[in-house]
Amino acid sequence: MLQDISKRRQELVEAAFRGLAIAWTDFEGQLEQVPVIRKLNRGHLQIGDYRALLKNLRQQVVDGGCWIARAASHVDADHFEIRSHFMKHAVTEHRDFQMIEANFIACGGTLEEIRSAPKNIGSEALSAFMFHKASQPNPFALLGAMFMIEGLGSRKAVEWGAAIKEQLGLDDHQVSFMLYHGAHDDDHLDELETHLAMTVHDESDVQDVVRTARIVGRLYALQLEELDHV
Amino acid sequence: MRDVYINAAGAHLPGEAVGNDRMAAILGEIDDQSQRLGRLILRQNRIEQRHYAMDERGEALDTNAGMAAKAARAAVEASDLDLSQIDYLATGTTQGDLLVPGHASAVHAALGAGNDIGPIEIASFQSVCASSMMAAKSAFMTLKCGEAEAALVTGSEMSSRWFRPGFYRPALDRLENRDTRMAAEFLRWTLSDGAGALVMQSRPRRRGPSFRVDWIRLVSLADRFDVCMHAGIAHEDRHDPVRCWSHHADGPRGAAADGAIMLMQDMGLLKRIIRGWVGEYLALIDRGAIVPSAVDHVLCHYSAHSLREEIIRLMKAAGAMIDEEKWFTNLYSKGNTGSAALFIMLEEFMARGGYRPGEKILCVVPESGRAVISFMMLTVEEA
Repeated sequence: MLQDISKRRQELVEAAFRGLAIAWTDFEGQLEQVPVIRKLNRGHLQIGDYRALLKNLRQQVVDGGCWIARAASHVDADHFEIRSHFMKHAVTEHRDFQMIEANFIACGGTLEEIRSAPKNIGSEALSAFMFHKASQPNPFALLGAMFMIEGLGSRKAVEWGAAIKEQLGLDDHQVSFMLYHGAHDDDHLDELETHLAMTVHDESDVQDVVRTARIVGRLYALQLEELDHV
Repeated sequence: MRDVYINAAGAHLPGEAVGNDRMAAILGEIDDQSQRLGRLILRQNRIEQRHYAMDERGEALDTNAGMAAKAARAAVEASDLDLSQIDYLATGTTQGDLLVPGHASAVHAALGAGNDIGPIEIASFQSVCASSMMAAKSAFMTLKCGEAEAALVTGSEMSSRWFRPGFYRPALDRLENRDTRMAAEFLRWTLSDGAGALVMQSRPRRRGPSFRVDWIRLVSLADRFDVCMHAGIAHEDRHDPVRCWSHHADGPRGAAADGAIMLMQDMGLLKRIIRGWVGEYLALIDRGAIVPSAVDHVLCHYSAHSLREEIIRLMKAAGAMIDEEKWFTNLYSKGNTGSAALFIMLEEFMARGGYRPGEKILCVVPESGRAVISFMMLTVEEA
């Protein structure tokens, strides 16, 4: 009986992993079609495009540390470990926007310009969704959101950072936000497996995690599509 | 609708097997850099032998259609049919011998030279590796709905034609760019010639094994991915198809001088496309079409060992790996023959045995061209 339960749990975790991997590959396909990424992939990026990218990412990255912290405050004591995980995550993220600002200035922008830029339409939608999910009790579906955000750091950022550096002839200190993420966001798959096993109890939990990942992917792509549309 | 079976397979690999040390003697040498990159690429793809329908003087020994017809005849010999009983022919290839007309016409003509095949329905599929699966799917559907009784399906390539120095010489300056050079050399040291064929029927064979075709699923991701493997446009112009070879004001000679008549592959994009392919595989598992633990044999086409490693790493990360001991390939001894590869694998696999009634065989053919992925599920039947 106990074995049956753990086997069932294992199957649910596998289904969640699979759903997340499908959401990820679909997201990567969406990114291929985003104009600024297509420009980068085709080798046509200009310094103004890169500055716009940094400026448009900053506002949502500032929020990043905040929604994870809010999510942590909605995790109950029975799920203490998940709360620790969220808090650790919030700490590692909450200074990231300063690196974006430094890169923006190193590429000819001003602090005033990047700080005063409003969120673009996509960033508004992404942030609103994140805070909405984070405000619910035990918002474990956000594990799906974190999977996507971590994937952006560990897979896309390093790929984009290297391409931007080469195409625009920049130095490391001008692209440090993307290169740093590539170097420091390892695959957190073991950790994610542990956390999914603790929080996924039935098929609807799996759907919730995967659906959250899909929504975050779509809204993140929207943020990149809506550069400077505020 | 009727069940459809693969009842026999045939292969044709031209000439002697060519080891790594003799490749340059047959293809010809471009320059020192090409030779250096060749050694690196061969370490990555781990191909040890291949065949070329071309001799050391650069003379063609056969045609693409000629090889397809030889493989088709071999498949019919291995079946319990005569060529005269075939009523449908579907061909897949990357590039036929002629620009016009279609490849299936040329293969039908080559088969008909002995007056043993009459007028039949044909279909030409031109893509890259997955053109084989497109041809197989058309035969599958045609047989399933009773439009034909016995189909021949071929996959064939004469890749070596692209790799003679004469194809690069008009635009050698283009190869000074590192990415363009790599895009050209990877294929030059990876692809080779050959043909494979299947006999498919609406009944299992009377004696011996048949593989029932459960389903064939092919997906194009060209809606999202840029072109990855191409010929007919210069590498740096590849995102602007209006600049293709046939629009060149100075005709084919001008297009060649601009580097439009070279076979190229964007190696950076390929890595992103592989993740898209694995996503489609996972989606089939999610829908219950593939149950990894219930698959007994995997025949997956891949162009290089290093890409196999990449695919396996991604499958493991998603918990969707099929045990490596269930994977069958002959890439390392027969080369990467593009659209012919799956059928050349099936021919060796079928003849070798080692499968039992009821076992499931998953065939996978990805195509880098513009991100196509195709799957075919077979069940072993003993008549």
